[in-house]
Amino acid sequence: MSGGNTGPVVGARGLGSFLLGIATWIITLLFFFPVFWMVLNGFKEEVDANTDPKLFFDPTLDRFSEVTEDTTGLLSFSEAFANSFWSVLISTIVVMAMAIPAAYALSIRPVEKWRDVLFFFISTKFLPIVAAILPLWIIARDAGLLNTRLVLIILYTAMNLPLAVWMLRSFFNEVPKELIEAASIDGAKISSQIRSVILPIVAPGLAATALLCVIFAWNEFFLAVQLNPVDGTTVPVWVQSNVSSRGNFLAKLSAASTLATLPVVLAGWVAQKRMIRGLAMGAIK
Amino acid sequence: MATTTPTDVIDRSEEIRRIQRKEKWRRRIPLLPALLFTIVVTQIPFLFSLYYSVTEWTIRPARPRTFNGLSNYAELVTNKFFRDALLTSVLMTVSSVLLSLLVGTGLALLLDRKVFGQGFLRTLLITPFLIMPVVASQVWSSQMLSRTFGVVNWLLETVGVDRIEFVSRYPLWSIVLVLVWQWSPFMMLIVLAGLQGQDASVLEAARVDGATSRGIFFQITLPQLRPYLELGLLLGSIYLIQVFDHVEVMTGGRGAANVPYFVYQRSIGGGWSFGQASAFSIVVVVFSIIIATFGLRVLSGLLEGEEAA
Amino acid sequence: MTRSDRQGPGAWIKLLSLLAALAVVAAACGSSASSDDGASGDSSDDSAQDDGSGDDGSGDDGSGDDDGSGDDDGSGDDGSGEARSINVAIVGNPQMEDIAALTPELFTADTGIEVNYTFLEEQTLREIVTRDVAAGGDQFDVVMIGMFEAPQFGAEGLLVDLNTYAAGDADYNVDDIFPAVRGGLSYEGGLYAAPFYAESSFVMYREDLLEAAGQTMPDAPTWDEVAAIARAIDSDETAGICLRGKPGWGDLGAAFTTVLNTFGGTWWEANPDGSIGEAQVDQPEFREALEFYVNLVNDAGEDDAANSSFVECLNLYQEGKVAMWYDATVAAGLLEANDSAVKGLNNFALAPTKETDASGWLWAWSLAIPQNSPDPDTAWEYLSWATSAEYIAAAGEALDGGWAAVPPGTRASTYDNPNYQAAAEAFAQKTLDAMNAAPIDNPGTTPRPGLPGVQYVGVPEFQDVGTRCTELFSSVIAGNMSIDDALSDCQDIASQASS
Repeated sequence: MSGGNTGPVVGARGLGSFLLGIATWIITLLFFFPVFWMVLNGFKEEVDANTDPKLFFDPTLDRFSEVTEDTTGLLSFSEAFANSFWSVLISTIVVMAMAIPAAYALSIRPVEKWRDVLFFFISTKFLPIVAAILPLWIIARDAGLLNTRLVLIILYTAMNLPLAVWMLRSFFNEVPKELIEAASIDGAKISSQIRSVILPIVAPGLAATALLCVIFAWNEFFLAVQLNPVDGTTVPVWVQSNVSSRGNFLAKLSAASTLATLPVVLAGWVAQKRMIRGLAMGAIK
Repeated sequence: MATTTPTDVIDRSEEIRRIQRKEKWRRRIPLLPALLFTIVVTQIPFLFSLYYSVTEWTIRPARPRTFNGLSNYAELVTNKFFRDALLTSVLMTVSSVLLSLLVGTGLALLLDRKVFGQGFLRTLLITPFLIMPVVASQVWSSQMLSRTFGVVNWLLETVGVDRIEFVSRYPLWSIVLVLVWQWSPFMMLIVLAGLQGQDASVLEAARVDGATSRGIFFQITLPQLRPYLELGLLLGSIYLIQVFDHVEVMTGGRGAANVPYFVYQRSIGGGWSFGQASAFSIVVVVFSIIIATFGLRVLSGLLEGEEAA
Repeated sequence: MTRSDRQGPGAWIKLLSLLAALAVVAAACGSSASSDDGASGDSSDDSAQDDGSGDDGSGDDGSGDDDGSGDDDGSGDDGSGEARSINVAIVGNPQMEDIAALTPELFTADTGIEVNYTFLEEQTLREIVTRDVAAGGDQFDVVMIGMFEAPQFGAEGLLVDLNTYAAGDADYNVDDIFPAVRGGLSYEGGLYAAPFYAESSFVMYREDLLEAAGQTMPDAPTWDEVAAIARAIDSDETAGICLRGKPGWGDLGAAFTTVLNTFGGTWWEANPDGSIGEAQVDQPEFREALEFYVNLVNDAGEDDAANSSFVECLNLYQEGKVAMWYDATVAAGLLEANDSAVKGLNNFALAPTKETDASGWLWAWSLAIPQNSPDPDTAWEYLSWATSAEYIAAAGEALDGGWAAVPPGTRASTYDNPNYQAAAEAFAQKTLDAMNAAPIDNPGTTPRPGLPGVQYVGVPEFQDVGTRCTELFSSVIAGNMSIDDALSDCQDIASQASS
C-alpha cells in the first residue's frame, strides 16, 4: 500500500501490472472483510456468533425476522426507518436549498468579508456536540419539539450546512466567469442565473454534497437518542436497542446493523461515480 | 474628503454610496437564509454554554445554579485529566487524519489503474465509510480484534503468533485503526477525483520525455493533488476531532479518553456538572478556532478564490 | 483514464425542479402550521420558532419546508387521540424484552392502556432518565431506574411515593417484596420504586471441572479460598475465574467494590452527618483489595479481562473457557437454560468474603413514577401490573423460556411457587440465599457516606468517581498502568467529591 511505487515500469509493464492488480484485489478484500463478517454474523445463531470465528454454519434468517418483528409499543424498524427517511431527506433538501444561494454569495458574487463568513460556518463544527446537548434539550423542550422529526430536521440541517456551503462554494468557483457575465448582462435574476447557468455545470458536485449530507445524517446517533427517545427516533437508535447487558446480542446486532446500513450503502454504491466527478470539481485551484 | 467638495459631487458620491450599499445588500441576500439559520441554531446553544461556563451547576447531586466567575476556567489549568484528554485528542486526530490520507491515497493510486473489476473494487472499498460509527466500533472490537473470538487473533494464532489483546493493550491505536478504516475510503474518493482531473496529455508528454514513474508521481501528480489532499485534511480534521462513539464503544474511555469523551463524562456521562463541562468545551472551541485559523492559512489553496469585492 | 462523461445535468434539473415544487407545497402547508406553532409557543422558545419565521421572511427558496415537515410530523405523532397511553423508559435486557412483548396481550387488552416503550441500553437509558427526572423533562410516565438512583431521587423529591398507592391496593401485596430489596428502594419510609427484577452476586462454578482438579468449593467461601482454587485449576484452555474488568461503576466498579468492602476498605469515610468525608483510596486496605483483584485476574482470570463484563464472561463460561465466574445471580438462569451448553454442570456458592460476613451485592432494576409524570394514576396501573406476582405467574405460562425465565429476585411468592421451584431447581435456593445475605445496610467494616448500597456508595458522585477510577483500574488490568499511578489518580478524583 505504500503510495510511492505504483507507477508501472515501462519494461516490465505486463507482469508488474498483473501483480499490482492482484495486490489491489487482495487489499480491497481485506478492507471489506469486516463488513462481510458483520453481514455473515447476521445470519448466525447467537451461539455461532459468540465463539471462535466460524465461516461455515447453518445460515438462518431468524435474526432478521427477530429484529424486524413488530411489537406493539416498541420501536419498530419500519417506524425508525420512516423517521430516518424523512428527517434525512427533508434536512438534506433544506440544506441544499440554503447552501446553493449561500455558496453563490460566497464565490460568484462574493459579499465583503466572505472569508470570515466561510470561516464562521466551519467554526460552528468545533463545539463538541455533547457540550451543547443540554442547552439544545432545554430549548427543544420549551419549544415543545422533543420527540418530533422537526427537531432532528433542524439540527441535521445545521449540522450539514457548513459542509455543504464549503463544498458548494468550491464547486461554484469552477464555473467559467464568462458564462456568468453573459447571463447577468442578459439581466437574468440571481435565481434564474443559478438555475440555468450554474446548476447544470455543478450538478455532479451537488450530488456529491447531498450524498455526504445524507450519510452523516443517516448515521447520526447522539442527537436522535438524546432528543427523541420516545417518538420520532431513527434507525441508529433502533440498532442500539438490540444491545443487551444481560444476554448475547452479537448476531442480532449484526442483522440490525446490516439492515440499517443497507440504504446508505446502496445510495453510496449507486452514486459513487457521480461523487468522484463531483469532488473532482472541487479542485480548489 | 467630502466636506471640501462642491454639493453636486456630494450628491453624486452619496448616490454612488447608495448604489454600492444596495449592491452590497443584493449580494448579501442569498447568503442570509443559511447564515441566519446557522446563527440561530448554533449560536443560541453556544450562548447558553457560555453562560453555564461561568456558573457552578450540577444536577446530580442537585444544586442550584450559582455564578462562580472564572473558576471553572481556572480549574482547567490545573486539571491533569483534561490535559491528558487534550493530548489524546491531538494524537488521535493527527494520526488518524494523516494515516487515512496516506492509505486513501494509496488505494486511489491502485484503483486509478486499469484493474479487472475496477468499479466493483471501488464499491467494496467505500463501504466502511458508510457504516455507522457505533456499529463499526462494535464489529472491530468484538469480532475482529477481540482476543478470544476475534478473527485477527484467530489468524495470528494459525500462523503461530501469540494472541494479542489489541483493544486493551493499545486502546488509542485500536481506535485509530478503526478511524483509518472508516475514513480512508473518503480520502480515496477525494484523491481519485484529483487523479481523474489530471491532464492526460501532460502525463504523456512527461513520459515521452523519459521521466520515470517515480519522477512523474512526485513532480507532476503530487503537486496537482495538493488541493485535494488539503480538502481531505480539512474535512477529515473537522470530523475526526469530534470522535466520540468509537471511544465509548471500544474502550469505555480506558486509556483513550479524548476531549469530547471527557466533556461527555463531566456532563451527562455521570459528572452532571454542566458548568464545568461548558467551560471545557468553550476552551475547546477557542483552541480549535486558533488552530484552524493558522491551519487554513497554511493550507494556501483553501481560502483563495477570486477576490471580487 | 476512466473518465466517463455521461451527460447528467438534464436529470438533475428535473430533480431540482421537483424538489422546488415539493418545497412550495410544503411551504403552503406550513403557513398554517407556523401560525399554530406561534400560538402554542411561549416567549422562551426562541431558537426553533424564531429561525423558522426568520427563514420565511428572508429566504425565498424553500426554507419554509421546515415548517411543512413539522406539520406532517406533528399530525402523524399526535394523531392517536384520546386513548390512554403511557410512555415507559426501560433498559434493554431479556426480561424487559419479555414484558414488552407480553404487554399488549396481558395488559393493554384488559385495561385499554397503550404502553409505548423506549428501549435503551443501560448507559444511554441512565443518561436520558436522569436528565428527564432531575431536570424536568415530562417525557416519561414510568422510568426504569436502579437501586442506586431510586432512594436518591426519592430523597430529592423527584419521584412519587408508591406506598400511597400500594396502601390502597390490596392486590398488589407490597409485603411480598423481599424486605432487603424494598429497603434498598426506600427512603425514610417512602417506597420510590418497585422492583422488576433483582439480583445479588455469587460464584458460579463448573462442578465437573473442579472435581476433576480435586478441588472443592465451600458453600460460603472466602476470597482466599476462591483465589486458591482459581489458580489451581487455571490452564491454557480454561481460565480459573471470570471477573469483570471493563470500566464503568456498574461493571468493574460493582464487582470490585464488593471485594473492596470485604477487604475492609472503602471509597470515602463518612462525615458524622453522613456526607462524603475524606477519600480512602490511598489507604492500605484499598491497595490490598485492588492488588488482590488485579493479580487474581491476571494469574487465573479470563483473557482480555480489561474488556470483559457480564456478557463477555457469560460467553466464555458457556464456551467452557472459564471454570468459575463471580457475577450477578441472574446469570444462573441463563447457564441453566435449555439452550445452554453447560446446563446441569454448574453449582453456586455465596459471594466470597474476607473481613466481613457477607459481600454479595444487591441490585434491582425497578420501575418508578417521576414526580412530573403527566398521568401518575395510569402510570401506577401499569407499574402495579408489571411488578406484580400476577405478571410473574402469567409470564411463567406465556414465555417460551417458561418459568425459569420469569423476572427473579423480587417476591417471596415466586420462590414459593412450585412451578418456579421445579423450573429453577438448580439455582432458586442459592439465589434466595444470596439475596438474603446481601449486606445492604452494613457492607463493610466502616460507616459509609450517603444512602445504603453494597457495590456502590449511595451518593450521586459515585457514578462519576466510580467510572473514572475503574477506567484507571481497567488500565492496570490491561497492563498499561501501574497500581501506584492508578491509585494516586483515583485518590485525586475521589477527593474532589469530599466535603
